[in-house]
Amino acid sequence: MSSPEKMNQSNSQWKWTRVVVPTVLLLAICTAASAYFPKGAKTGTNTSRAALQANVALPPGVTATDPGPRPLPANAGSFISTLSANEQQIEPSITTEFNRTHDVLVTSPVDGGLGPRFNENSCASCHNYPAVGGSSPPSNPLFSIYNYNGATNTMPFFISSSGPILEARFINQPGTTIADGSVHQNFVITGRSDATGCNIAQPDFNTASSQGNLVLRQVIPTYGDGLIEVIRNSDIVANMNANLPQKTKFKITGHPNYSGNDGSIQRFGWKAQIRSTLLMAAQQMNVEMGVTNETFPNEVDQTPGCVLNPVPETVTNFTPGILTEMFPDDRARDEYFTQWLAPPTPAKTTTSTQNGKVQFQSAGCIFCHTQSFKTPATSRPALSSTTINLYSDLLVHHMGPGLADGLPQGQAGPDEFRTAPLWGIGQRLWFMHDGRTNNIVTAIEDHLSNANGKYPASEASQSVNSFNNLSSKNQQDLVNFLRSL
Amino acid sequence: MRRIDNSPMQNNAGSMPRRTPYYLLALTLLLAASMAVLIVRPVTVHGSSLAVDPGPRPLPAAAGNFYSTLSANQNAITTRLTQIFTEVNFVAGGPLVKTVGLGPRFNSNSCSSCHAYPAVGGSSPPNNPLFGIYQLQGATNTMPYFVTSNGPVIVARFPYKSDGVTPDGGVHQMFTISNRSDAPGCTTMAQPDFTTAQQTNNIIFRQTTPTFGTGLMELIQESDIIANMNSNLSLKQSLGITGHPNYSDDDGTISRFGWKAQNKSLLYFAGEAYTVEEGVSDEAFPSENDESIAGCLPPFNVPPGTNKTKGVPDDRNDTGEAPKAPVNFPSDLERFSLFMKFLAPPTPVAPTTSTSNGLVQFNAIGCNLCHTNSFTTPASSIAALSKVQANLYSDLLVHDMGPGDADNVQQGNATGDQFRTAPLWGIGQRYFFMHDGRTSDIVQAIEDHRSSGNATYPNSEANTVINNFDALSQQNQQDLVNFLRSL
Repeated sequence: MSSPEKMNQSNSQWKWTRVVVPTVLLLAICTAASAYFPKGAKTGTNTSRAALQANVALPPGVTATDPGPRPLPANAGSFISTLSANEQQIEPSITTEFNRTHDVLVTSPVDGGLGPRFNENSCASCHNYPAVGGSSPPSNPLFSIYNYNGATNTMPFFISSSGPILEARFINQPGTTIADGSVHQNFVITGRSDATGCNIAQPDFNTASSQGNLVLRQVIPTYGDGLIEVIRNSDIVANMNANLPQKTKFKITGHPNYSGNDGSIQRFGWKAQIRSTLLMAAQQMNVEMGVTNETFPNEVDQTPGCVLNPVPETVTNFTPGILTEMFPDDRARDEYFTQWLAPPTPAKTTTSTQNGKVQFQSAGCIFCHTQSFKTPATSRPALSSTTINLYSDLLVHHMGPGLADGLPQGQAGPDEFRTAPLWGIGQRLWFMHDGRTNNIVTAIEDHLSNANGKYPASEASQSVNSFNNLSSKNQQDLVNFLRSL
Repeated sequence: MRRIDNSPMQNNAGSMPRRTPYYLLALTLLLAASMAVLIVRPVTVHGSSLAVDPGPRPLPAAAGNFYSTLSANQNAITTRLTQIFTEVNFVAGGPLVKTVGLGPRFNSNSCSSCHAYPAVGGSSPPNNPLFGIYQLQGATNTMPYFVTSNGPVIVARFPYKSDGVTPDGGVHQMFTISNRSDAPGCTTMAQPDFTTAQQTNNIIFRQTTPTFGTGLMELIQESDIIANMNSNLSLKQSLGITGHPNYSDDDGTISRFGWKAQNKSLLYFAGEAYTVEEGVSDEAFPSENDESIAGCLPPFNVPPGTNKTKGVPDDRNDTGEAPKAPVNFPSDLERFSLFMKFLAPPTPVAPTTSTSNGLVQFNAIGCNLCHTNSFTTPASSIAALSKVQANLYSDLLVHDMGPGDADNVQQGNATGDQFRTAPLWGIGQRYFFMHDGRTSDIVQAIEDHRSSGNATYPNSEANTVINNFDALSQQNQQDLVNFLRSL
């Protein structure tokens, strides 16, 4: 099997170099006509969630209403019940770590390390709802974090107290045409009492927004990730190649985002740009909290005065005798927390949700939101040979100009996104990659987007048209089915 | 059937006629350039160099020790780290539950078989270890044409997929576990077709890079790498040297390891290498490297009580199974990373008049503008790695090396002709040079840095420096070579 190291990037870059000349010409022409382009998340002041929501009007004939998220108690957040007794023994330790609030200065092997730049100070503040490990809660936790401990951050314009937690990426490096794509953290440690001497500024989000250079992404829940990461690549590809006549009818294609490292299929992140819970935990620690670790040992900003701890800030604990009792580092604990969380439990089926599932299938939703995969034999018995109803094919698909964020990641193009797993959406508050809506019917309609001069039509457009053509009752049943997950 | 305007098929069909002439043109120019090079190139092996390679310094190894400054507790686990790095992996069976999971495809069965010389953790030994591995346990592999008993350990990548256009770039492992006695049920997995790849000019090679001192390299501050990149700009410009970092997609910091600086950290590298080189899936990359034949995947049907993996990942932290003991925790992946992290850099020999002058010449002709003499690490949570001057002779940037070195594989921000400045520490005892191990003569390796641009790739950034080397007196050339062999 091929294992193209970093081919994810190189593929796209290869393509880009080949098309760059015609594209530049095309862009020049299109700039004048840009007022006709649909406003995506990257487009100027329309980035705000309210503006995006205001743009969406349900087409005539769509009568379904969103019953809203199912109320608490949470139907997610438990560990897999079949973990071994020894594994269960360390559940409290990994839960503590996932909930830990990181301050700047490292004072023990398991705390500190925040910044110099960060989006939040604990995993659980964002992976929060309906239970720890999930996604954005109803009240935005960033408001109690951004000025914590004397920090002098201002709240970016795109964050609202009752909106989703969002992080920012820039398409190009500010003021240039050089591709960027990386996260530009909302906050800095400047002003914090535990960060004396650090004086760096927050990114200029307003300028980025006015230049159409700002991309927003919301938090993804982690339930069931340990099962997702062991699904065989061959099963994902076999599913991709199944039902081809129907997919052709619906104009659905899709393809994997392959790891540049070992050639396997990546599964995590809005563009399926991350391979495993280990790499996700490690990357998130440094990117979201600024906690350097053994996989990512360098601070993302090394301005003098702001690197306040020896690096990496979390390391294997070399205390004698401790290796039997403790994990090597915080990264491993965060990894296992997400790896061992069971999938959400759906609500009991009703006549309505049963019919809704039938409609979900007949409208073609199922061709991307694949109902289930089965994990192979795994070395951790609790994850082994389990059928999981994730409702995702783990492929990336063209989603049209309406959702395109202009940001390629690996083999996922600027308008391509991973099919979001739907398990747990019955209790989810925000939808789509940028959290643009809290209305699940609007979220369905947001899947429809016609081609423009830059991007092809959304692969979901036909399915959404099919949904729109359903009877009122069938539409409502389908929505009820989704809210039962 | 009505054709869909944006169907991929039509896109391909539409672009092919435009693409073909470019390829023919490029191919023609490449051929022309190659012929020109063949005609122009002096018949002497070393270009116009008059120096002679004294050869690798003999053993004992001047590398392979752990830092003497490790803490007592860190020191206490080094023996075990070495055991794990040198363990031979079986598909199933073997002496330990830790030593299973090989394949289904693999290049070798242990880290230390390739990272071998002049000490464990290094690079290719003089005698190719693959000959002792490829038919182990009854495996029916044939040895690929490019592996020789006294040549370097190299792995194969295919720049393009079989259509000759779509980029591939991935490692195609040399061997499979077919017919091994410890892989019952796996009989039909074929080795890659290297001969066809050779005939279609679609195969490139990479040799083993040594791991000594890499714990320091991963900690060097990005701001120091950038500051060094931006120093001596007018001098670099006059010599045609630029260079740039290869950034990690994950966190945007500079990646440092591998021939194209495509790997961010030792842990990331260990995770990738375990599954790519040995086929042992791990917690960073939990898939088997070929899932196409059910009989070649775990769990294997071996007698009860035989060591085997229950499934993917083959290697992981032991968090559940009794007896829980320090030797089984953490995972091999974590242990490999710590092993490399704790290995000290090679020790150079004491300077002589010749090597001292060689260093002066090395700097004077501009070698040091890429092969930056040293960086100092920042404060580190591993005390032994904290604020240490690392004399690695690399700027950790990637540079255009011209058509002569180009391998047509793009990795991250490193294009088909760009390579990381190889750190020179330890080359005094190294056997094979350049990314593909093409030569064991260090003077030839210097000359191989020179390559004129063609239609596809620009000039090697090293050209002017190599011309400067050739223009040195015989004595100065020899002193420079002696300096390199002192590292």
